Amino acid sequence: MGQETPVRTLSRRQLFLTFLKAGLAFGGGLGILAALEEELVHKQQVVSREDFLANYALGRMVPSGTMTAMAVAYGYRFGGLPGTVVAITGLVLPALVLTVLLTAAYAFLPNGPWLVVLSMTILPAALAFIVKAALKLGRDVFRPSFDLVIAAAAFAAVLLCNAHPSLVLLAGGLAGLLAFRGGAEHS
Amino acid sequence: MNLGEFVLLVFAYNLLALGNGPVMVPLFRRSLVEGRSLLTTDQLLYAFAIAQVTPGQANLFVASVGYMLFGIIGALLAAAVINLPGYTMLVLVRGYERFGKIRAVRRFTRGMTTASVGLILAATVEIGRQSLTHPIGWVVFLLTLALTSFWNCPPLLSLLAAASTGLLLKICM
Repeated sequence: MGQETPVRTLSRRQLFLTFLKAGLAFGGGLGILAALEEELVHKQQVVSREDFLANYALGRMVPSGTMTAMAVAYGYRFGGLPGTVVAITGLVLPALVLTVLLTAAYAFLPNGPWLVVLSMTILPAALAFIVKAALKLGRDVFRPSFDLVIAAAAFAAVLLCNAHPSLVLLAGGLAGLLAFRGGAEHS
Repeated sequence: MNLGEFVLLVFAYNLLALGNGPVMVPLFRRSLVEGRSLLTTDQLLYAFAIAQVTPGQANLFVASVGYMLFGIIGALLAAAVINLPGYTMLVLVRGYERFGKIRAVRRFTRGMTTASVGLILAATVEIGRQSLTHPIGWVVFLLTLALTSFWNCPPLLSLLAAASTGLLLKICM
């Protein structure tokens, strides 16, 4: 896709290490993106910047993490289907190991005092992260618009009617299909 | 719920949420916390917190949930299955990116994303009713929100600052 840099390629080991380094980056998707660009475009020079950006744009259309899409794209380019598994493994491994360790730690917390401390510190903070995510997703929603109507209806459907969240999402999609004009994304 | 059902659930919810970790929280809460009481709200929040402070994708919190329910195999399968939709990229790079530009598709996903904002806020109210029962919890919640939203502090730093404040208040009170 796009203008590829010819000849230079990545071995499976290099592919794994490239995506492992990206997977260690903090800052969510954008942090990984920056690290990946640094590796593929500047350090290893196996991909042109235009190609990288083109694949990023495509990756954003995928109904899942954009970085996974990038791992699939470049994993396939440099290693076929096995390459996609290598790239995804490298990308996910650091977070997965840390996640499992931290989750296991929760199970070993002694009952009583530690759990009370947790409920007053980490858990309220987690709730704040969730609210922040909603505010970020909805930065264009909180103004008089049909977006606000959909968001408010979803809010009410769950809180007042105990509607199942998956039905609310699908209904929102249908509402968008019927109500929005054009196709331009607002974010 | 057996492992197979859980993996299917993760796959379905990941698709519905378009890979957005926070959107999956209300979905999991309905199915695993309220519906089948397999998890507590606290466990779900903890899993989400871990995803915020570890590198990588936010939706990897499903691995934490998988570990809580089924051990390491649950974590591995959940982590694997959320990456499956990424393979649609192989179709897109062959020139079918026009699909993503079809107006109907974009209107539909915009509607879903907008609905998810209301969904997440509703879930926050429900969780807050249960979990924010102590003033210290409220202080930590509001402080974290201020730090990450208004001052743009990185999540790990915000968590540490707010949690330390909470701990200090707990010790002093």
